[in-house]
Amino acid sequence: MSDLDRAIAQLRACRLIPESQVRELCYKARELLIEEGNVVCVDAPVTVCGDIHGQFHDLMELFRVGGDVPDTNYLFMGDFVDRGFYSLESFLLLLCLKVRYPDRITLIRGNHESRQITTVYGFYDECIRKYGSANVWRYCCEVFDYLALGALVLGASAELEPTGPVYNDTALSTNDDNELETEVLNSKGDVTMSTYRPRQRTSLDNGSVSPTRDQVPLRTGAPGTGASGSGAGSYGSRTGAVLCVHGGLSPLIDTVDKIRLIDRKQEVPHEGAMCDLLWSDPDEIDGWGLSPRGAGFLFGADIVKQFNYKNDLSLIARAHQLVMEGYKEMFDGGIVTVWSAPNYCYRCGNVAAILELGEDASNGGTVTRSNGDYGRSNGILSSAVDKPPLRSPGRRYRVFEAAAQDTRGMPAKKPVADYFL
Amino acid sequence: MTSDHRAAPVAILGSNTAAVSPSAQTPNAITVKGFKISTQKFPILKAEPIEAMTKKLGISPPEMIFGDNFVAIEHEKSGWAINFNAFDALDRVDKTGESMLKVAYSKEWQKSREATHDGIKEVVKPFDWSYSTDYKGTVITSHGHDFQESSKPIPIELLKRPDPILFFDEVILYEDELADNGITMLSCKVRVMPARLLLLSRFFMRLDNVLLRLRDTRVFVDFESAEVTREYQSKECEYEAVRQKLASARDDIPAIMRDPNRLSDILPTIEKRLERASLANQWED
Repeated sequence: MSDLDRAIAQLRACRLIPESQVRELCYKARELLIEEGNVVCVDAPVTVCGDIHGQFHDLMELFRVGGDVPDTNYLFMGDFVDRGFYSLESFLLLLCLKVRYPDRITLIRGNHESRQITTVYGFYDECIRKYGSANVWRYCCEVFDYLALGALVLGASAELEPTGPVYNDTALSTNDDNELETEVLNSKGDVTMSTYRPRQRTSLDNGSVSPTRDQVPLRTGAPGTGASGSGAGSYGSRTGAVLCVHGGLSPLIDTVDKIRLIDRKQEVPHEGAMCDLLWSDPDEIDGWGLSPRGAGFLFGADIVKQFNYKNDLSLIARAHQLVMEGYKEMFDGGIVTVWSAPNYCYRCGNVAAILELGEDASNGGTVTRSNGDYGRSNGILSSAVDKPPLRSPGRRYRVFEAAAQDTRGMPAKKPVADYFL
Repeated sequence: MTSDHRAAPVAILGSNTAAVSPSAQTPNAITVKGFKISTQKFPILKAEPIEAMTKKLGISPPEMIFGDNFVAIEHEKSGWAINFNAFDALDRVDKTGESMLKVAYSKEWQKSREATHDGIKEVVKPFDWSYSTDYKGTVITSHGHDFQESSKPIPIELLKRPDPILFFDEVILYEDELADNGITMLSCKVRVMPARLLLLSRFFMRLDNVLLRLRDTRVFVDFESAEVTREYQSKECEYEAVRQKLASARDDIPAIMRDPNRLSDILPTIEKRLERASLANQWED
């Protein structure tokens, strides 16, 4: 068993690793992260997760519900630390997994991965208390500076494979005219909700004729993959990429490429695009707005629509805001908030969720790089008047509750009677 | 005098004694000498009730909104009652944006944006996003049991006695992290002894590097005389002034800045009100 595997085992048991090992881990992590672009490209299938906030036992519950690394690919959208009691254990475990399985886990930066914020909201104090000095906090902050700012999920499938027997609407599920678009599962794996949409018949590749169902799909899978004519019914229509960021959009950023130009290796600044990506929030407004707090942007449905269209995105996944149901889709499904800290701060009683994006097997697992990344515009189609509409990816939300009290190694908190005045 | 703060194992904000498990607890209640005291603790509201509340209030509620929670005291004989709930507290928040605060780095932030985004100057839905409230509870009264101005203070000495506590609870009504610029929290606790009860509803707001605000409402009930005393105290001070005061005393500044109990001794009082209500039946004696 390597040192790294030992460290992983130890951290999984919620026991810290020695300071010297943290230093080494952080060094390795930085070497790895420096090679990543500001926007990491991730192939589906991947499970997208929101804020963790040092709730270690709930992170373990997340892995239990979503599958373990490296069996499941994960993308964490930041805010690993602060607020909860186990920021160190949570972040160091994720970092170990990143170093051990770099292609299986992607970590992007949240607004809490910052020196300034961690000194106020708990992580700094936790480092001092658990390691006796600020060294470990400093190592971690150096890693924060190297975390990517976003990720693009490519090759997500438009249609979900049903999880199991769908008892509530059998008629729909057997109907070839509809495909499974979203599914919500509880932590036991039972389907609690599913939505369907009409199956798209138009071949978007040639933009004209609608193939009938008897025709052979125009784009079949690669020979020998077994994916050809899979019957998944994707008919070659495209699913756009999914952009994952912690906060949201920025008025300084109109293309994903502009995110790639940011010099990210620094403390999260108070101004500029980098700040916005980590801090801004969607809101039911038109266009852009200033937050009443006097700092921070809010953006409306039209902004998301334009951005997604321009960048061939079908969905923006972000975290940053607490939502009681664990996830919240807004703007006709153009953006979703994913929140992965159940019973936030050990007192909100909310559930958490993770978002699974499946792999599109319809073209043999070949990922269409059509998101301004590879095969970027050659100028001919640059401002194509009628881009074919993109289909949003099939979305499976797994909803879970806080880990049982007895696994968290601390007494259940009941208010203790006291003689307050 | 304020001994109610349990040291949290880690620096999370605010009191962590009012935890709630995801499975909601049923209302808690006790009746002592004709006074029924009840509390209810549920998880934060879901999307739909939040939407309904937003419409009704006219402002978006705080991030953590415990809209089903309450603490209530009812006097069965007179029908008088007082309860503390999030909606009524938030209904007293300034909804116009007149008393709007700005986060510490607002100037810096906006200045850096002026050149680039002429189009984006509009503040969206201005209101007092610190959710500062002067809420003193929602009173249901009849038979002329209204609160009257009073000069008779709450008998602190009686409350310092170690009488058995028959009932105790702490309930959060709302909380917001001010987008990581501090904390705002309204919580309520109550302890019931054989002869009296004390309820403390506390609004605490810390806007980092800007302002500290504490607004306490205390309700004291003497069961025998059926007399209710309500005391409202508002304290406030600029953040920097408090910081300097603590620095000169070599105190652990971050810890105290998180602890409303200790701040209560430091912040200057800017408003104080005392009221009394007598619930004894006027026609009987």
